[in-house]
Amino acid sequence: MSEFLVEAVGLSVRYGSKAAVDDVSFTIPKGRVVGLLGHNGAGKTTLMRALVGLAKPEGKLSVLGLSPRAQRQELLTSVCYIPDVAILPRWARVGELITLMSGLHPKFSAERARALLRRTSVGLNDKVKTLSKGMVVQAHLALVAAIDARLMVLDEPTLGLDVLSRKAFYEMLIDEWCDGERSVLISTHQVEEVEALLSDVLMLNEGKLVLSTSLEDMDRRFVALSHDPAVAEQMAAAHPLLRYRVMGGSAALFDGAPPDSVLALGQRVRPSLVDLFVALTRKPELDRTQF
Amino acid sequence: MTSFKTLMQREWLQHRFGWALLAGVPVAIILPLLTLGQVNFGEDTTAHMAGSMPLFITAASLAATVMVLVGILWSASLIQMSGLARRDHGDRSNEFWLSLPTGDAPSLAAPLLVHLVLVPLAAVAAGLVAGLLVSLVLVTRVTGLASWFTLPWGTLLTAALAGAARLAVGIPLAMLWLLPLIMLTVLAGAWFKRWAVPVLIVAFGLAGLLFERLLGLPLIDAWVSRLFEMAGRALLATGGHGLTIEGQSDLLAGLQAAPRWVASDVLNALAALAQPVFGFGLLVSAGCFAALMWWRRR
Repeated sequence: MSEFLVEAVGLSVRYGSKAAVDDVSFTIPKGRVVGLLGHNGAGKTTLMRALVGLAKPEGKLSVLGLSPRAQRQELLTSVCYIPDVAILPRWARVGELITLMSGLHPKFSAERARALLRRTSVGLNDKVKTLSKGMVVQAHLALVAAIDARLMVLDEPTLGLDVLSRKAFYEMLIDEWCDGERSVLISTHQVEEVEALLSDVLMLNEGKLVLSTSLEDMDRRFVALSHDPAVAEQMAAAHPLLRYRVMGGSAALFDGAPPDSVLALGQRVRPSLVDLFVALTRKPELDRTQF
Repeated sequence: MTSFKTLMQREWLQHRFGWALLAGVPVAIILPLLTLGQVNFGEDTTAHMAGSMPLFITAASLAATVMVLVGILWSASLIQMSGLARRDHGDRSNEFWLSLPTGDAPSLAAPLLVHLVLVPLAAVAAGLVAGLLVSLVLVTRVTGLASWFTLPWGTLLTAALAGAARLAVGIPLAMLWLLPLIMLTVLAGAWFKRWAVPVLIVAFGLAGLLFERLLGLPLIDAWVSRLFEMAGRALLATGGHGLTIEGQSDLLAGLQAAPRWVASDVLNALAALAQPVFGFGLLVSAGCFAALMWWRRR
């Protein structure tokens, strides 16, 4: 049995001639919360759909030791997937969804789902179409968290939610799901919010994987130096990944340790995921110090 | 099996109010009309059935109500199922169902079974119950309430149940005969959405024209006509022969003979399955089902 829940080698997904995911290789061990970051159209949804067998991949892809495409039905007994939180059947009552999932998913616990729902403002008799977006999220997550799965794949689960709903969502995720054995793959645009949640990050840019690292390794590998604007030219000469403004001055982000002479010009600060994301996915001709 | 039963249960949970309305509203309209409106059976009928009007009214009420409810619910089911491929796409809940570990085959087969077979069968049962109510109102209006209670209920109910049993066999058989046309419509809906039926009509028309020009045979027309003819015979194999009722004595005798007639009619309907056209239809249906599964996986 592989130590990794997900193994992808040379993974590509094409829609006609366009490669939505292009030659991507990564692994996801157990007990990790992995953030999948990327701009709109970067390939995040396509990658997630490939992981759950809804998109046809090229290359090697193994999820829980299974081929997602060929063994999709078996895979989905141990992987739960929220493609889009607005997709619960609008005609159904929440209690009816529990009944249906009890019959359709062998690892679904109706009792656990009801217990999780009691912590929310969603009632069993509520019709999905009468729920607000935030309540639909809570209901969907309660249903999914009641599945005894090993991998949770969440595609932009907090899109359109207010801050309270997002906070409730993250709390439920941490309290009810993350137990050190199960892993979560979550894609989101709210990079700052999830940074505290994540153990690993995958960054996609135009279908290509530009970063696959744990946050610990990220801190070791990338060096951010906050510096006085007067030494900006010397910083630029060291070819940082990104130069950007911070409170009281400027900063530069380097992949790897810069020369000691450059290190001496500034003060090391922790690089934020947002800045790293911008550095690795922006078009090179754009420089944030120009704005 | 649990999964398949749950998929069938989904249909019940989603559509039960619609089904109840489709069955209940016609009955709710007809009962007050019969209670308050004018009831007239015509001089000929009254003359022929003079001593057996209550029996005639009850038998006719049961038959007519069953036919109306089966007709309404079956038509609704056929319309529903024509959009099966694209069902749930409107509110994107198809992605919810696809995120569950259910196979493509049961996900397609369960709604087809429920809507095309179980719903019409339920309509038969509902029609019998509603028919009793209708007959109660009509008999009371025409000959008085007491005559309803003095009807030969043994014979009536036996005949009614025999008729229901005939439909219980006939409805699935009729669906099997029509299945290739239904599955072609469902498959066309996958690609052409709301344009499925017009596209299919045009395609059939063009194909029929082509066969006629090339082979001199109206193959497509003959095939479709045959399917409809055989579906009708699946419901009533004798085509109505032997069911002529001249007068009141015929009516009671006819009702008493109903179970034997039904048994013979069922055998005729089953024997009619042994035709190449039926096998060809099943092949076409299986091909369409496989194509739908492939489309769903895409």
